[in-house]
Amino acid sequence: MAKAKVKLEKELLEKVKKYAEMSGYSSTEEFITHCLEKELAQLEEADSEEEVKKKLKGLGYIS
Amino acid sequence: MNSINRREFIKMGLTAGSMLALGGGHLSARVPGSKDTAHKVIVLGLDGLDPHLVEVWMNQGKLPAMRKLREMGSFSRLGTSNPPQSPVAWSNFISGMNPGGHGIYDFLHREPESYTIISSGAAASESSRTLSLGKYELPLSGGKISNTRQGRAFWQILEDYDIPATIFKIPSNYPPVDTKQRTLSGMNTTDLMGTPGIFNYYTTAASEINEDLGGGRVHEVYIIGNRVESSIPGPVNAFRKDRAETRVDFQVFLDPEHAVAKIVVQDEEFILKEGEWSGWKHVRFNLMPTQNISGICQFYLKQVRPDFKLYVSPTNIDPGNPALPISTPDSYAKELEKRFGPFYTQGLPADTKALSNNILDDGEFLAQDDIVLQERLKMYDYELDRFDSGLLFYYLSSADQRQHMLWRHIDKSSPLHDEKLAKEYGEEIEKIYRIADSLVDKALQKADKNTTIMVLSDHGFAPFRRSFNLNTWLKESGYITLIDPWKQGDQIMFLNTDWSRSRAYSIGLNSIYINQRGREGEGIVTPGADKRNLIREIARRLEEYKDPISGENPVLHAYPASEVYSGAAVDGGPDIVAGFNRGWRISWASPMGRMPKEITLDNTEKWSGDHCASPDVVPGIFFSNRPLTSSSPALYDLTASILNIFGIPVPDDMVGKPVLKI
Repeated sequence: MAKAKVKLEKELLEKVKKYAEMSGYSSTEEFITHCLEKELAQLEEADSEEEVKKKLKGLGYIS
Repeated sequence: MNSINRREFIKMGLTAGSMLALGGGHLSARVPGSKDTAHKVIVLGLDGLDPHLVEVWMNQGKLPAMRKLREMGSFSRLGTSNPPQSPVAWSNFISGMNPGGHGIYDFLHREPESYTIISSGAAASESSRTLSLGKYELPLSGGKISNTRQGRAFWQILEDYDIPATIFKIPSNYPPVDTKQRTLSGMNTTDLMGTPGIFNYYTTAASEINEDLGGGRVHEVYIIGNRVESSIPGPVNAFRKDRAETRVDFQVFLDPEHAVAKIVVQDEEFILKEGEWSGWKHVRFNLMPTQNISGICQFYLKQVRPDFKLYVSPTNIDPGNPALPISTPDSYAKELEKRFGPFYTQGLPADTKALSNNILDDGEFLAQDDIVLQERLKMYDYELDRFDSGLLFYYLSSADQRQHMLWRHIDKSSPLHDEKLAKEYGEEIEKIYRIADSLVDKALQKADKNTTIMVLSDHGFAPFRRSFNLNTWLKESGYITLIDPWKQGDQIMFLNTDWSRSRAYSIGLNSIYINQRGREGEGIVTPGADKRNLIREIARRLEEYKDPISGENPVLHAYPASEVYSGAAVDGGPDIVAGFNRGWRISWASPMGRMPKEITLDNTEKWSGDHCASPDVVPGIFFSNRPLTSSSPALYDLTASILNIFGIPVPDDMVGKPVLKI
């Protein structure tokens, strides 16, 4: 696994630690990874959805 | 500033979606075949003419030319395609095959690996090699757009025998297949944005309009000092790294007293009264400091005050300087443009979406489609007049489009039937049938004893009163499992579908696919006996399902594909074709992979007539001045008949047989 340091504001980091623990993640790192993966997946889906909608927009048979 | 022509596009390898991705097969200037043929054929393709309506009006004496043809030769119901969708049906006619041979199964197809929904007609790929230069990204190799229909078109076969043909606006021929014949592309041809057609609407009352318009963009504008400023969006600029959308600015100057406005767009300046159409205006979208793309659009000043309302048509490919391949030879579109001026090049130009979304009303929609119709009627006269050898195919779209939108006026059971509007517009469908009859009359006048006339429609028409959420039914029946059951509803493209626990899904207007292991990206159903049993089970349960409200069966026949398709392209198609009952169609949500809660619901859209039913519900029509030798001719038989008239053997891969006595 590649490593990279990311700087977070102290206040945010405290929150992340708190919610990671509350949600049962084994580490803060695992929680952050999960959040990023979820967010990226949404962005990727949104892109492809938008692209498809755009290409088919205007065909009378569909809404 | 230079306007980019097609050749320059190709040299530059532009890749803004499908519009800039060009194939290399249609470049050379061609000369159509010039053989004087002993036999001649005129084919009129009248999209959507329904045999029942034709019979009624023919027997009332309202369609005299069709009646004359019936007396001279033949009139019959015509077997349509399965499913009876125009791109599929016209592909049957073009190729003489069924969808298993030509590979067009639906308006919408899917990529099995990713379950992505795609348009069935044309495939585009982008340039893979680019050069970065400042803020520009210059493609080094051309992208490609290709017609996905397989098999040879009948005019390509005629060409082998040096028999000339002119093919005017036949659907499912975009981009036009390579040929020396004269062809102009029809249905499937995109607008300049690479879409089926997106209009623009500029208003000070944007809040009155549903923001999620399919087929249109609403722009909120402000009147400042009797002046409105806005812009027309154009294609994405593939030269730029950020792929920014191009735009053309325009200004509107409102007369302070009268309902009149002056519109200034680039070097065009014109005055419109309220309720007036502008005719075609050229717009140029700048790509780089020295290059632009040319398009054409029409302005309609709907209202000046109290709220400002301006409709601008989808930006069409300019036929005088086409940025995309719309004809063979290249010069044919230009020739028509030179003679008749700019014309609609978009595949389905009647703006049904503007009517559906109340941007245009019934009268305005008819006025817009009448522009389309009048342009094409002039071209019919021109082509018919110079026709002296081989084959002429001419296509009429308006009967189909008007029946889709105005059926509610002749159907008292339509959820949207309105007596007042019915009184005003109830005869519009009959009127367009009469116009179709006038085309037949002209063909009869032109024909000599060696001319065969064939008049056909690709399918008939039926009311669309109730709709069926096919994907919801699949879910409720246990064939689709959601990731989050609480989120059922509005997400398109199966975004909430757990493919590891889903066995079937529907994409498009009639197609059902099994989630097959080794074919679909996350397929789970094993090919062979498991798949066959599942197909039989789904088909049986679909046919048995009854609408709890009406007691009707929404699906009249569910056809296993293996029983209705044959040919080289059979593997790419669906596994089951859902054939809807009269009065029914698939819902608005299901074709794009959405699953609303209800399985059945009323169709409350103005789009109130349809034909995406079981083929036996919506047969087409066929007339000829020659007798038929078959009591049940089908679209692909007419292809074989054309070849037979010219003495050409019917190729082995055609399923059609000659059905006309010559």
